[in-house]
Amino acid sequence: MLWYKAWRESRTRFLFSVLAIAGLCAGLVLYNKDARAAFADKQLSYAEYIWRIVYHGGVRDIFVLSAVVLGLGGLLREREQKTAGFALALPISRWQWIVSRAAVGFAEVAVLSSLPALVLPAVSSFVHQTYPLSQALQFGLLWLVCGVLFFALGFFLSVVLAGEYVAGIVSLVSLVLYSLLVELPGMEKFLPDLYDVMSGAGMPYFRPQISSLSGPLPLALLATILLTAGAFVAITSSICARQDF
Amino acid sequence: MNNPYVIETQELTKRFKQFEAVRSVSLRIFGGQITGFLGRNGAGKTTTIKMLLGITHPTSGSGTVLGHRIDIPKESVEMRKHVAYVGEDKQLYPYMTVEELIRFTKSFYTDWRPDLERQLLKRYELPPGRKIKSLSKGMRTKLALLVALARRPALLILDEPSEGLDPVSVEDLLQSLVRTASEGTAVFFSSHQIEEVERIADRISMIDQGKLVMDFSLDQFRMNYRRVILGFASQPPTAGSELFRMAGIDHVRADGRQITILSSHNAEAILEQARHCHAVSVDVQPITLREVFLEKVGADN
Repeated sequence: MLWYKAWRESRTRFLFSVLAIAGLCAGLVLYNKDARAAFADKQLSYAEYIWRIVYHGGVRDIFVLSAVVLGLGGLLREREQKTAGFALALPISRWQWIVSRAAVGFAEVAVLSSLPALVLPAVSSFVHQTYPLSQALQFGLLWLVCGVLFFALGFFLSVVLAGEYVAGIVSLVSLVLYSLLVELPGMEKFLPDLYDVMSGAGMPYFRPQISSLSGPLPLALLATILLTAGAFVAITSSICARQDF
Repeated sequence: MNNPYVIETQELTKRFKQFEAVRSVSLRIFGGQITGFLGRNGAGKTTTIKMLLGITHPTSGSGTVLGHRIDIPKESVEMRKHVAYVGEDKQLYPYMTVEELIRFTKSFYTDWRPDLERQLLKRYELPPGRKIKSLSKGMRTKLALLVALARRPALLILDEPSEGLDPVSVEDLLQSLVRTASEGTAVFFSSHQIEEVERIADRISMIDQGKLVMDFSLDQFRMNYRRVILGFASQPPTAGSELFRMAGIDHVRADGRQITILSSHNAEAILEQARHCHAVSVDVQPITLREVFLEKVGADN
């Protein structure tokens, strides 16, 4: 039932995110002619259009935002809402609370990351276009791994920062600061640009000429990102275990 | 179980930065009884209860609940299987319905009693399909009690259970607590409502400014506690006097030539000693719990 509770508390945010990502993907495909015409480069191929607007554009940003927002909540928020006493008096360890929320969140991020793969190839056929499922699945994997880290960031901040909206605001500010930081010259040696990892832009596994992923995905980098997300969750759990509610 | 205490703490202390909310509290709460935890608002009752349940960590000191150490998370989880808690705010998940909250709560307990659940649902007239956010505070308290009692816990802890309830709901609540205790559950409840504590409690632990100031059984209190008022023609005995060192003197207040003593026992011997000290008038009066509370708490402040 812990899973049920975690789901109940996040489902509105999750469903809004599903609607936004799936709706945008479908809409951008269905109205691709009008949308492509708006680009300065009129010769934009369909694959490039999808890449620019979904995987390297606004839909990706909405996904990142959704992943962070899904991470918010937890026992500190329950303290604000005065339900933490009830929750913590149940015969459940704090570790179990953390794990259930993290697991449900990861599952939700997985669903969100797979939405373009579910929507783009299917809806493209309605407008007599094709978008390869294999491409969509590979981008989906990149989104999933990076999304898990963004989720873990929101998850961590919501245990560190009290207040109904504080963690949310700080998460958004962190995202903006991160975006600025990774743009600094030479920074790529120390900090991967997760936005580019997700889209492949400037990465050796991406061919800009055809706006497609080619070559092996950076498994070592993806594993490092997952480990970092796991470390965030572990630190979150350790902080939560010591907190007073 | 050899240990007669369901709750036992030693020097339990909680400090929030500079503020000491609970100071070296050594509590012993007996099983099979109703114990009132009496104190003013902000006296440290809620913090003590939260430490017992593992919701807040003690700064120092130790304690056990049902024999499980409160500072070891694994033991705390084990203890909470047998303890029910109704918090001060009675806030439950507002997005759940009554039925959903019951289903959610019972999934954590192996000793849940569906028959008792149905019985309490009927007695408290709770609408199963109603969202918790639309319940009144009285209804929420009843729901919190239902999920606490539908499994006959060994210990029921309540924090200000009557806070914000109308008189009818308070009456219902007190009766529920008495019924629960009669069925073998030890009840430990905090309150600043002296009358309700006096009505149902077997024992009382009194806390003020984070310190345990009194701990007694109500029967013992009614039989032995007295207010002794002594009048003196001249200067009354000073603090170092033999009179004030006698057993049973719980509290002394001097007001000019009059001295008021709160005695927990031994009132006759105190009177005798007072006469030796040339008291010109002596008066022994029974005392109410309210008066003791005000005497202790008021004077200590």
